[in-house]
Amino acid sequence: MSLSERTHDGETKDPPPSSYEFTHAAAKSAVAQICEPVGYNHFKDPPLESLTGFAIQYILQLGKIATSFANLNGRSQCNVFDIVLALEDLSGNDNNAEERGCSALRSVKLREIIDFVKVSDDGEEESLLLQTLPRFPVSDKRKKMMVVPSFVEVGEIPPGKHIPLWLPAFPDPHTYKETPMWIERGLDPRGDKIEQARQRRKAERALLSLQRKLVCRGDGDRVWGDMDVGGVKGEIREAESEMPEDEKRDGVSVVEAFAPALEAARDVVFSEDDAEWKQKKKKKPVGLSKLRTEKKFLGEPLDLTLQMKGEDRSMSLREEDRDDKRRRAEFILRQCMENPVDLNQL
Amino acid sequence: MNHGQQSGEAKHEDDAALTEFLASLMDYTPTIPDDLVEHYLAKSGFQCPDVRLIRLVAVATQKFVADVASDALQHCKARPAPVVKDKKQQKDKRLVLTMEDLSKALREYGVNVKHPEYFADSPSTGMEPATRDE
Repeated sequence: MSLSERTHDGETKDPPPSSYEFTHAAAKSAVAQICEPVGYNHFKDPPLESLTGFAIQYILQLGKIATSFANLNGRSQCNVFDIVLALEDLSGNDNNAEERGCSALRSVKLREIIDFVKVSDDGEEESLLLQTLPRFPVSDKRKKMMVVPSFVEVGEIPPGKHIPLWLPAFPDPHTYKETPMWIERGLDPRGDKIEQARQRRKAERALLSLQRKLVCRGDGDRVWGDMDVGGVKGEIREAESEMPEDEKRDGVSVVEAFAPALEAARDVVFSEDDAEWKQKKKKKPVGLSKLRTEKKFLGEPLDLTLQMKGEDRSMSLREEDRDDKRRRAEFILRQCMENPVDLNQL
Repeated sequence: MNHGQQSGEAKHEDDAALTEFLASLMDYTPTIPDDLVEHYLAKSGFQCPDVRLIRLVAVATQKFVADVASDALQHCKARPAPVVKDKKQQKDKRLVLTMEDLSKALREYGVNVKHPEYFADSPSTGMEPATRDE
């Protein structure tokens, strides 16, 4: 196992992070902390390094001998007796050779350790390692980015049952073949629907206002801009009630001509806000209520809920809308006059 | 029979003491952290899921280091104090762990860490001229 591995390209990779330096430094600080209550205030580096090395070797030897004792007894996992035997072995005393009893507690070393624990437990407070050990190996962000995540980490299901989940994931298709591009606009079906409904409502409003205007024109004394709170509603109701009676206007039965369009508009609106429309059908036309949303009319405006969700218009905008509608209404009327055939198509 | 019974009782006592000791290990946290000890034990093939055994090893190592350090301290204190007499510095001796003390302490454990006292140019430096000629 070479330290520096070579990839198949021939490039040298950095050797895998060895834990030797980290553990050695940690052990060094632990050993120094152990020596402090003994009486030492200062340490020279070489003896401290040597002592650390010895402590590490002690642990390693203990583990090795304990494992061998466990294996001798046909076990793979060590238990306390293996450790005690290893301790006895390491101490190199042969005083116990004959006196070794059937219990591990007879061992001298273990007794010494027990006494040591008692002394340090009773005497001083526990001297834990002052520095907390950081988690090792410390992840190198740069290297981590280069490591390909496995299927499990990415959350993909590998194509094909023969591929296990722990293998690195396949690259995205756009990296190796041409995939269609589209402008990410962010799907917002609800927003789109609201927008569509709003536009439809605008068209209907235009139609309705046009029709109203025609009705009002016939009366003559009513002006478009004359809107007061109480009277408007009455006017509209009267206008609507007068509708079926008015037949001849400008030489063309405009109302009759507009009737299918009106029906169609009503149907469309019905399908959208059934409950509300049924309640407020007789009460308020949409356009006016929109203009005066801050004042509470009898009953709520038709599509106020959707308006509150989607729109946030100021008064100035409403004024502009009004002018817009007027202009549009006039334009439509002009067109209708010119092409009486196309009326039914509205 | 009697002897057997006695040894049986003693065994029970020993077992109880052992379990008690192992339980007490959980209260006393050794200075060497568990993770570090576990890492080194795993390196040598020691496999055990029980934390108490790892703590036992940690405590054993701690005792070993403490013993060596205390022996070295004895050697350090045993050395005659420096001759220079200062009014401020009378008996205050800076207790520093030096290689000398450590090597003396470790010799009792069978470890030889003697440092060379000087570095010579060649193996025969400082020897008598007679032997050098040979």
